[in-house]
Amino acid sequence: MEKPLFSVSDFIAVINQTLEYTYPAVEIEGEVASFKVNQAKYVFFDIKDTGGSLGCFMTVWQLRVPIEDGMKVIVSAVPKITQWGKFSLTIKSVRPSGEGALKKSFELLKAKLELEGLFAPDRKRALPSIPGHVAVISSTQAAGYADFIKIINDRWGGLRVDVAHVQVQGADAPDQIIRALTYFNSRDELPEVIVIIRGGGSADDLAAFNDEQLVRAIAASRVPTLVGVGHEVDESLADMAADVRAATPSNAAQLLVPDRGEIIRAVRYQVRSLLPRVESAVSQQSTIVSDMLIGALEATDGRIDQQLIQLAGVRNVLAQLNPQTVLARGYALIRGAQTVGAMIEVETNRSIIKAEVKNVQRK
Amino acid sequence: MSKENKTIQAKTAELAQLVAWFDSEDFTLETALDKFKEAEALAETIEKDLTALKNDIQIVKQKFDSEA
Repeated sequence: MEKPLFSVSDFIAVINQTLEYTYPAVEIEGEVASFKVNQAKYVFFDIKDTGGSLGCFMTVWQLRVPIEDGMKVIVSAVPKITQWGKFSLTIKSVRPSGEGALKKSFELLKAKLELEGLFAPDRKRALPSIPGHVAVISSTQAAGYADFIKIINDRWGGLRVDVAHVQVQGADAPDQIIRALTYFNSRDELPEVIVIIRGGGSADDLAAFNDEQLVRAIAASRVPTLVGVGHEVDESLADMAADVRAATPSNAAQLLVPDRGEIIRAVRYQVRSLLPRVESAVSQQSTIVSDMLIGALEATDGRIDQQLIQLAGVRNVLAQLNPQTVLARGYALIRGAQTVGAMIEVETNRSIIKAEVKNVQRK
Repeated sequence: MSKENKTIQAKTAELAQLVAWFDSEDFTLETALDKFKEAEALAETIEKDLTALKNDIQIVKQKFDSEA
């Protein structure tokens, strides 16, 4: 059998074709080594285990999570022979593998974005107290979404809710969520809030919400964002970049709309509290009227008392002028001519005496 | 914001104004009863409106699994 003869470049092309046919895309797990970025555009590193090492190439924009030497990762790649005959993996995506690597990657990106001020409290915008139009980005099949819808329906009404159905885990999730964010941010009729929700899951399930481009898209949203991902204990960078962070999808619903039951109770209380105020005003008014009446009566009494006192004074003066009062003090009243031999009448307090004048001396 | 919600908000604001009137210097006993009846009726309307309102939930037709 005749052996095929290739040119070098043809043979490389045939090998690449074979590789592409056999392994259109592979996922390989290993540890990162010799990580470097050239010209701020190209990323080179090796992925290795105890038995071997493979060279990897990707662009900076494809690197969605920070990685560093020693970190365990899973790469999604296309195997290739370069024109220089070197075997290399062209990386489509890379994600940390295992809890330690996820945590390390999370901390690295958190520190980077924190430094840029993406999580700064002064960037946070308040949500409208009663929104009328909201957008929701979630998987409509997820339990977290069902909880969210049930709670908003229980709590409030009249709300227009536009829902973008997206994947909320896996390699495609960040891009789908970013597209949904872009979609809502470019509507003519902007929603008042964009809500991103996903129920609980493993650290790997929730890793999509630590994607750098997604976190940046949330921070850059024109429309205020509310993010409720996972359970209360879960923390994602998407949460931190959001204007408002909810502990869970149910909590997001509670933060988004008021409870109509509470409003009804408050309204009832407001009206009930008016009646005592009217009663109190009536009672105050009647107290004022009755106080005025009492005042008038007291003034009249005072005047009468004053008059009585004055009258008593006059009567006292009159009593002093009464001749009987003078007689009572021991004086006597003499009637008749004051000449010797004349008969006179002497009136005392108790008797009237007839007497003859014996002597008259002028003082 | 929907028209219905605006109306509820406007009614709630109106109720708050009515309640505030009872504490204001404009308060007179002559008008208090009318104002009270007005507040009572408004509260009832707000309660009815709130109970009757339903949310309008629409799934966006646009697909997000690839660049549009």
